[in-house]
Amino acid sequence: MRRLGELEAAIMDRLWTWSRPTRVREVLDDLRRERELAYTTVMTVMDNLHRKGLLARERDGRAYRYQATVSREDHTAGLMEAALASGGDRTAALLRLVHRMDPDEVAALRKALDEAHDGRGGQR
Amino acid sequence: MIPAGLLLAYALLTATLGAWWLRRAAWPQHAPRLGVAVWQALSVSTALSVVLASLVVTIPRGAVGAGFAELLRACVWALRAEYGAVGGPLMGAAGAAVGGGVAARAAYCLIRESAAAVRERRRHAALLAPVARLDTRLRALVVPCEAAAAYCLPGGHGRIVLTTGALDVLDPGQLTGVLAHERAHLRGRHHLAVGVAVALARAFPGVPVFRHAADQIPQLLEMLADDAAVRHGDRGAHAAALVALAARGGAPARALAAGGPEALARVRRLVAPRRPFGPVRRAAALIGVVALIALPIVVAAAPALAAAQTPHCPVEVSVLG
Repeated sequence: MRRLGELEAAIMDRLWTWSRPTRVREVLDDLRRERELAYTTVMTVMDNLHRKGLLARERDGRAYRYQATVSREDHTAGLMEAALASGGDRTAALLRLVHRMDPDEVAALRKALDEAHDGRGGQR
Repeated sequence: MIPAGLLLAYALLTATLGAWWLRRAAWPQHAPRLGVAVWQALSVSTALSVVLASLVVTIPRGAVGAGFAELLRACVWALRAEYGAVGGPLMGAAGAAVGGGVAARAAYCLIRESAAAVRERRRHAALLAPVARLDTRLRALVVPCEAAAAYCLPGGHGRIVLTTGALDVLDPGQLTGVLAHERAHLRGRHHLAVGVAVALARAFPGVPVFRHAADQIPQLLEMLADDAAVRHGDRGAHAAALVALAARGGAPARALAAGGPEALARVRRLVAPRRPFGPVRRAAALIGVVALIALPIVVAAAPALAAAQTPHCPVEVSVLG
């Protein structure tokens, strides 16, 4: 599971950097400069990434050409947005340190913090 | 009928007055672990009482196999007498339906919610993998993202996730505290407690004790993790870390979806700490937890124990009796 995650990351990294339709063979050749991998391994992982919606593909002769569906930045931003959007409705999926709040609420937090510092004679 | 009535009255009391009292109490903030335990005890005793109430009107009617029934006929009669079973078989059927329904609904929602949480976590981890890098020194995944965020992804080994935005606003001492906070969540398996509370609230919407428990237990667990964070560090620095992360966390997607009041309570208790509970108050709270759960069991079992002492019942009760 962890190794698969690493390989997924390595493949996505290349497709994001190249940002053009790419064959499994090209990705494999580049990955092989770092480690020994089988063609079928890379093909399976890229097929998984396609099923997860991270890669789009089009047929090119007997193989597919793959391309990232969104840019690296958009992927990250969307992922964080989805992860952090939960404010009121809680699920146990992930536990967040502080939830999002509007500027007024942040100001109230600052005030509580400053009052405490003043109360202790300008500590810190 | 008396035990069933008592049990239902008890369930009503824990579900409404009990929840109302605990929600207004200030002490759970100062002893969050005990606060979580009492919320859980209130929730469990509410559900347990309803299920036991249905059992005590159902079981004496003898939902027993034929041969077995022959054998235990005298005993069943004794049980009926002790439980004061009145009303027709309709009452027994209604009792079975209510108790079975409550138990089945709770089990169904627990399974559904935990499956959904596991699925969501797996999906998130898979999407995170291509963009996050594992920082071996911090033992955390770092995601390039301007919005400041720190969270943990429980289950399996559990992972702490930090955005580069969060690393930007935290000084080294604060970062240590934030990591300790997240590790406390993972080590304590806090997601399980949150999961059960949320599932019960979804299973029985409108029951005050479940609704409030799902709201209060996560908050108290955050406070518990805050306490772990400041055990070796500065309380003021950790409070400042919460504020800094909140300020850079990005605007809430929806109005009223924000975590302001909860965060304010946490900052206040960090900067103005109280003495922790002494042994006396700690013992009192623990006795309360045990009593909350034991009481319905005793009420439900007392008539059975009395029946077991009649000569018709072939039950060895020398220890209990």
